[in-house]
Amino acid sequence: MVGLPYDFLVNPLGAVRSTFEKALATGSDPASFDGKDWGALDLFRQFLFDQGGLSRVPVLTPTTIRWIKPNMLVRFRGMIQDMLGNEFYVGAYKDGSVWRTNKFIDVSQFSMNDSADMLIWERRLLYCVPVPGQNAWTEISSEAVGNDCMDWASQQREKRRRTDNESADCVDMTRDDQHPSPASEFGAAVTEGTSSSMSMVCGPDANSLPCLVKIYDSPESDLKLNDVFEFVGVLTSDQEPHVDKDFEFSNGFCEGPSLQFLHNKVPLLHCFVYRKLAAQDFLKNNPMAEPKPQLIREIREALLRHLTAILGNDEIAAHFLLLHLLSRVHTRVDAVAVGKLSLNLTSFKKETTSIYGNRLSVAVKDLLPFTHCIPLTVDYLNSTSLAPKKDYDTNRLTTGVLQLAEGSHVIVDETKLEAGILNSVGVENTRLLKNLMQLQKVEYDFKYYKMEMAADVQLLILSEGKSNILPADVVVPFRPSSVASSEAITAEALEAWRWYLATVRLLPYTIKSEIQKVVENDLVAAMQADRSLSPDDFSRWLTMGRLISLSFGETCLSLEHWEMVKELEKLRRERLK
Amino acid sequence: MKDLDFAADKVLAKEFLSNFADANGEAKYMKILQEVANHKTRAIQIYLEDLINYKDLDEEFLRRVTENTRRYIGIFADAIDELMPEPTEAFTDDDHDILMTQRSDEGVESADGSDPLQKMPPEIKRYFEVYIRASSKGRPFTIREVKASYIGQLVRISGIVTRCSDVKPLMQVAVYTCEDCGFEIYQEVTARVFMPLFECPSKRCDTNRSKGNLILQLRASKFLKFQEAKIQELAEHVPKGHIPRTMTVHFRGELTRKVAPGDVVELSGIFLPIPYTGFRAMRAGLVADTYLEAMSVTHFKKKYEEYELRGDEEEQIARLAEDGDIYNKLARSLAPEIFGHDDIKKALLLLLVGAPHRKLKDGMKIRGDLHICLMGDPGVAKSQLLKHIINVAPRGVYTTGRGSSGVGLTAAVQKDPVTNEMVLEGGALVLADMGICAIDEFDKMDESDRTAIHEVMEQQTVSIAKAGITTSLNARTAVLAAANPAWGRYDLRRTPAENINLPPALLSRFDLLWLILDRADMDSDLEMARHVVYVHQNKESPALGFTPLEPSLLRAYISAARRLSPSVPRELEEYIASAYSSIRQEEAKSNTPHSYTTIRTLLSILRVSAALARLRFSDFVAQSDVDEALRLMQMSKFSLYSDERQKSGLDAISDIYSILRDEAARSNRMDVSYAHALNWISRKGYSEAQLKECLEEYAALNVWQIHPHTFDIRFIDA
Repeated sequence: MVGLPYDFLVNPLGAVRSTFEKALATGSDPASFDGKDWGALDLFRQFLFDQGGLSRVPVLTPTTIRWIKPNMLVRFRGMIQDMLGNEFYVGAYKDGSVWRTNKFIDVSQFSMNDSADMLIWERRLLYCVPVPGQNAWTEISSEAVGNDCMDWASQQREKRRRTDNESADCVDMTRDDQHPSPASEFGAAVTEGTSSSMSMVCGPDANSLPCLVKIYDSPESDLKLNDVFEFVGVLTSDQEPHVDKDFEFSNGFCEGPSLQFLHNKVPLLHCFVYRKLAAQDFLKNNPMAEPKPQLIREIREALLRHLTAILGNDEIAAHFLLLHLLSRVHTRVDAVAVGKLSLNLTSFKKETTSIYGNRLSVAVKDLLPFTHCIPLTVDYLNSTSLAPKKDYDTNRLTTGVLQLAEGSHVIVDETKLEAGILNSVGVENTRLLKNLMQLQKVEYDFKYYKMEMAADVQLLILSEGKSNILPADVVVPFRPSSVASSEAITAEALEAWRWYLATVRLLPYTIKSEIQKVVENDLVAAMQADRSLSPDDFSRWLTMGRLISLSFGETCLSLEHWEMVKELEKLRRERLK
Repeated sequence: MKDLDFAADKVLAKEFLSNFADANGEAKYMKILQEVANHKTRAIQIYLEDLINYKDLDEEFLRRVTENTRRYIGIFADAIDELMPEPTEAFTDDDHDILMTQRSDEGVESADGSDPLQKMPPEIKRYFEVYIRASSKGRPFTIREVKASYIGQLVRISGIVTRCSDVKPLMQVAVYTCEDCGFEIYQEVTARVFMPLFECPSKRCDTNRSKGNLILQLRASKFLKFQEAKIQELAEHVPKGHIPRTMTVHFRGELTRKVAPGDVVELSGIFLPIPYTGFRAMRAGLVADTYLEAMSVTHFKKKYEEYELRGDEEEQIARLAEDGDIYNKLARSLAPEIFGHDDIKKALLLLLVGAPHRKLKDGMKIRGDLHICLMGDPGVAKSQLLKHIINVAPRGVYTTGRGSSGVGLTAAVQKDPVTNEMVLEGGALVLADMGICAIDEFDKMDESDRTAIHEVMEQQTVSIAKAGITTSLNARTAVLAAANPAWGRYDLRRTPAENINLPPALLSRFDLLWLILDRADMDSDLEMARHVVYVHQNKESPALGFTPLEPSLLRAYISAARRLSPSVPRELEEYIASAYSSIRQEEAKSNTPHSYTTIRTLLSILRVSAALARLRFSDFVAQSDVDEALRLMQMSKFSLYSDERQKSGLDAISDIYSILRDEAARSNRMDVSYAHALNWISRKGYSEAQLKECLEEYAALNVWQIHPHTFDIRFIDA
């Protein structure tokens, strides 16, 4: 046993086949493999995670697709944009007296025309796109991995060429004897690869590379719409001919064309292993595994200074901005999304927006992985489709601006809004924005009914007066004092801040019962003093308490932090007067 | 071996068809066959349920039919061929019949029928179509649940139709004639695509080596109507965070033109793969598209009248009905996450139940639907209550006074963009016919809708006379309205009438009017603060202290209750009349009447009482129902005018006394500590000085003793 008989990166299917044969050899019945793994996935998991193979797997991007060959192991990071239902395929069949499997491939390797024993299995199709609003810094420096891998791949190829004639190819050894000679097959693969890579790049948009992912045997609840995942699997090129397309779908009605279109234009990934990505996973390197309290305090101070500088020395606004950047929906109780903290910075003039607005959006872009900017104008509201909509002609979900991944940040610039008339689209759009703001839900339009999808989006609104279209949780009048040009930021500092924002917000959090009493009494006292307070205000204070504690890296609400909440709220209220 | 099986099954099928007797003891299927023979119907529906109920049922046979349905449709058709009776009535021959007679004549002549292609396939002779209908017992599948293992089986699926193709002819049997030998050649078509024959396969041409040309005879061939549709999962069946799945459905023959996009349907059908043909099959033999070959279509109607109780629901309802506290239990289960508001929830429950409609002999109708208006400060969960009711009701429409569409609340005449014809489009109220229409922001309604709503609320129709269309649409709906007070918040300094921003003509049409105020109350404030903190701390709602009933069970109970039509017994008439007149008297005495007690009020009392009787599953209204109805109506007024009652009625001292007395009675103690007493009265907005005054005054009357140092109270029992 010198090394493995197959290479995970270049010939992952070899591993699938060899494990299949091994499983059969131990006397398993192929019918029992329906919806189950026969040991192939364990091998891949071991290779990817235990042996650190993951970093050697090339990432599928518009640049790498040019040289990645079909049937190679690749990974793809993206958001699930649409679910195309399931597909039935002949999972295993008997070729003569040997069982073969078609799992993880599109086109059967061997003829299966006369096979009587066929097992039909099921797989799911997901249409994935790069996460909307993904910032450049999150991308894996594909060059590093890529070049490395490419060199290595070409080396392999060289080696293969040399060994070809001796037919001692380690990869092919494990395959069956009945297959065509390795040389010819290999040649075919190369030509296939070049032709397919040509057709793949000319996707709808050269910069964003969607991907069709086929998922096997995983519980449906694992993969949800709008989740960000990393899929590791075999890239295949679909060589299915479409000559009979016009003929077969001439009744002007079928999901066929769109699926055909997808098969043609979009790379296809047969997924072995997937994992959900959080903001942390987009960081270049995790600086520290264990957050030290002192360090977190230092990072917090530095970040707060940075935000204050960006906001023209408005410290209160900077405090609220920090809390806002840390917020996330951590629970949903009934209709209430607990943990959201949308922020509305008011008193923006046209002039100040151009300075601070831009600065702010640049700063947020540098800090968070997924950011968006919506310039709110009457025209925009009347013409844009914010909500995703089902297109029944193509049987696809047409994405909308508000189809966002969990944890996305959106800046809504309301200063550009002028008086005008909203049409029905505009009314619908404002309603959608309001719903997103208040309930963190977006209604997807399925024509015959609407479906609410839960979202978790941080919303920052810049406006002149208090925004009535978008009632934010916190309204802070913005009072910059100096237009100090912000100091240069070191890359390390940025990295540390990104890490801080990504990590701290996920810390666990509790309220101890003695603090709970204090808080309850404070709330009731506040209510008695001011009748206009509503449960929403209470909820906001508690959220702020949570965020302040977390921002210090603490997992319990302390009296000191609760006092800070009240103090901040007092300062804010004074400004509002 | 297999053939043998099928032959045996054909015998079984034949026996079943000829022997099955329905509930009346008649041979159900033979009757249908006779109708088919007389060309009265085409479709023969074989109910799987009948097969299950068949006395000589062979379990294995049933299993085979459900798992290999397509094959068994053929077997049943063969069996029917053999059983088909002679027509008993004359019917006019059409082309098809004439062709058939000719063919059968020829068939006798040319006896070399050994050639399979020359033998007439049975399909071409058949006038009927066979459908096997799945049993309607149990829950239908969602599209998501139909897995690969169901391929070839009979399944029942519910969904919404999203797309429909045109109805097209689909060739079932292709008929050719040979140029050389003149024979008719038949070719059965089973797929959507077929390879036409070009050379005559008949024996004569074969022996002559003439390769006779075949000409397709369209008139002689048999075609079927064919329609393709897509169905999509219903919103409630889609798991969170997923996209609804779709499925292709093929309708053939008599089942075409049964569905239109937007219909919610329940289909039974055979789940089948589409074999790829031609080049695709060679390359992409791996993947198979699937479709559902429809066997029956049922439109899914969400009405109480057609609500079918499933499974153990009947039993559960019976158990609930025996429970004495069902009224409270059901009311609490409405919007359980909304704290308090018990009486309002009771009123909403009665709205869901409603009273029976009455139609008098002279054709006059008296509505049975209850109308309720909730008025209150912003942020008191009015909208949430409304939405929850809509979710519970099987048919409900939620809209706002300013509904965004041009149709508005009632109805509108609109020009169809495609055909340029004027079409009548129903608004929310018309769409909610036989259901509940919840109108939020009732006070902000358009003026045009507001006039129309008068008609809807009493006559329960929407009349329209626009653009040459004069018609009256049914709008038998219960209106549940929510409105804000005139100045956004309730202004206590003004009279209720000023605060309620609705004309009396509209107000009088509501059976119950509730005012939900956001009052300063220590208790509710603390409750709220606790709730918010709890939610943030534990990431869930605090326990409710009871388990609310499932909405589905609630719905089932209400639908069962709605089947009754309780009447008022003679002996209660007097009681109700006197109650009504006393309300009128009271109002006449008061110098500032708050309400307009009219004959409508009397009808409201009757309606509420009838709804209460329905909840008890009783055919008669009892006095307790009337009492509860009166109480609810009184409470709804209290909610409006309680402030004034407090001011005008008891003075502070006696009110404090009654508060203490009540609290003591509730806790069943004779001693009340001073701290407790202070706590209670401060919640009601009284001061410590007033409490002291009260203590002294009543101590002097020897009602209680006051501890000289601690001021604790001890009641002296009378």
